[in-house]
Amino acid sequence: MNWRRNVSVCLLFICVSAFVASKDGLFNIPLNWPKPNYNFSKNPLTKDKIDLGRALFYDPILSQNNTISCSSCHSQFTSFAHVDHALSHGIYDRIGTRNAPVLINLAWNKTFMWDGAINHLDMQALAPISHPDEMGESIEHVIYKLNQSKIYHHLFFKAFGDSIASGEHLLKAISQFMLTLVSANSKYDSIKQKKSVLTLKENNGYQLFKKNCSSCHTEPLFTNQKFENNGLPVDLELKDFGRMKVTQNPIDSLKFKVPTLRNIEFSYPYMHDGRFKNLNAVLDHYVRGIVKSKTLALQLEQPIVLSANEKVDLISFLLTLSDKKFLFNPEFGYPKNLLISLPKD
Amino acid sequence: MKKRLAFFPIVLSFYSNQLLAQNFRILSLNFKPMFGNSVLQLNDSVYKLNKNDSIQFETLKFYVSAIEFWNNSAPVWIEPNSFHLMDASDSNTLKLAFKVPSDMIYAEIKFKLGIDSLTNVSGAIGGDLDPTKGMYWTWQSGYVNFKLEGKSNLCRSRKHEFQFHLGGYTHPYNALQTISLLTSNLQDVSIKFDLKTFLSDVDLENKPSVMSPNKDALILSNQLGKLFKIKE
Ligand code: HEC
Ligand code: HEC
Repeated sequence: MNWRRNVSVCLLFICVSAFVASKDGLFNIPLNWPKPNYNFSKNPLTKDKIDLGRALFYDPILSQNNTISCSSCHSQFTSFAHVDHALSHGIYDRIGTRNAPVLINLAWNKTFMWDGAINHLDMQALAPISHPDEMGESIEHVIYKLNQSKIYHHLFFKAFGDSIASGEHLLKAISQFMLTLVSANSKYDSIKQKKSVLTLKENNGYQLFKKNCSSCHTEPLFTNQKFENNGLPVDLELKDFGRMKVTQNPIDSLKFKVPTLRNIEFSYPYMHDGRFKNLNAVLDHYVRGIVKSKTLALQLEQPIVLSANEKVDLISFLLTLSDKKFLFNPEFGYPKNLLISLPKD
Repeated sequence: MKKRLAFFPIVLSFYSNQLLAQNFRILSLNFKPMFGNSVLQLNDSVYKLNKNDSIQFETLKFYVSAIEFWNNSAPVWIEPNSFHLMDASDSNTLKLAFKVPSDMIYAEIKFKLGIDSLTNVSGAIGGDLDPTKGMYWTWQSGYVNFKLEGKSNLCRSRKHEFQFHLGGYTHPYNALQTISLLTSNLQDVSIKFDLKTFLSDVDLENKPSVMSPNKDALILSNQLGKLFKIKE
């Protein structure tokens, strides 16, 4: 009868470890959120892969002259948007054509970039690495440089059991770090968990938000992931027609991906080209700046009416989407400790 | 009880080995890019479409995927995980070999020129599909199915260069080509395609480069798909 006990101990162990594996804290779906879109079964998270991805995210080795890292344009304390730059600045101070968006809750994204040109989080890093105005490198040469580095031999081996870097492993590791960037600890979230209540003004703002904004900026992610034309006048210099560039279909002209509004307090300036410096200017746009065109979203055909007080209330609600814990979470910052513990190059 | 349980895996693996013990033969596919009647060489070789022009090739790379052997309108052998990057600068890549059951009879070979849409949206993949192979677009996701680069005095472009990066996996510009070739149960198959015919239909003078998924890429891909032939 001994084997029975062994088997049941074994079974118990398997159950417990399966339980632990999903509760390992590397990635948790916040309460009442939808299922993520990212297929984790093809790139299961591990601590070592996340560490490697984090090191790469902060390392200018990914750029041609070793000066620009992902974090140059995506810094933690702005929720990984570009600090105070309307158009992102890249290598040799070249200026791009779009504003760097926040990097949060990317596991739920269906497409990436303002026009959805990138179809999978894994493939995202290829775009800035090889863009002449961003990092000006080629993925082939990045792999070559990484394979000259003792630090990365070590990190790739720990992560993938293979010290030789490959494009696949590089991209999967960067994805892993970005997948961990989940922001779900705002005041709004604590209200949803009944741990806190909105003030009168915030609550009034919330009602206005649900009436005017949430068809596109849909809870809980504050985006419906669709491409919409929200009535911005075309910038005649940049001539950016958004989604149409990808689909080459005129019905997509001037449509851009609906961005999340989480951490909106910190991710100014706003819109795909960073044209608005603050939230007041954004609301002014929605109230009296909408430009009519063939592709304008139906919801915006009728003007949105907001009094001065209502604008203040709406903004006070938007500020409840700020997640300071996220902005200061040491696990997302520069991986100082990881890098000191390694052999030097 | 304990003993019987311990034997179980051994017995199982014995039976499955029996099932697997079959005779195999090696079937080979050899892709041969041609220019007219000669096998195409990169770099120094100079070719002519007409009397007064000259053409040189620098790069020829393409994906062959989803290889299947058919008989009587049904598949008899399907290569699992079938993705092959063919590169004219490395003749080894142009030869594929498959281990198939020795009694397998087939009358048709099917494959795809390019990468299917599901694979195109599946994130980072290694091996021949690794994005470091130079066959992945960076500014807009997707694989290049077919890449041909070179120069010709016909091109009015800078340095007289031409570049065809053909691909696209979404409607209405899905450039993937399905190719079916009838044959006769051959052991060694040569699959030829003639780039002279391809370039004769291309407007080298005015459109020497097609570099993104669009209508031109679709038209050229359709033409290319028709050029693959088995030479017995
Ligand atoms: C020079 C500045 C710059 C650098 C460097 C940079 N990015 Fe970006 N990033 C941007 C801009 C600008 C966009 C938006 C571009 C667009 O929509 O066309 C963006 C978009 C993104 C997005 C899409 C987010 C979304 O919600 O659609 C991700 C993910 C991202 N970057 C990750 C990275 C990673 C990883 C790196 C390092 C390999 C990196 N970025 C380097 C400026 C930069
Ligand atoms: C029809 C859909 C739609 C509605 C309704 C809508 N938005 Fe937007 N919103 C968008 C789109 C699309 C963008 C990005 C536009 C761009 O950059 O070109 C955007 C951008 C924003 C931004 C800038 C975000 C950033 O990261 O740059 C803010 C803030 C914003 N909206 C707030 C609101 C508020 C507040 C309301 C309600 C008064 C509202 N939106 C209603 C679609 C909508």
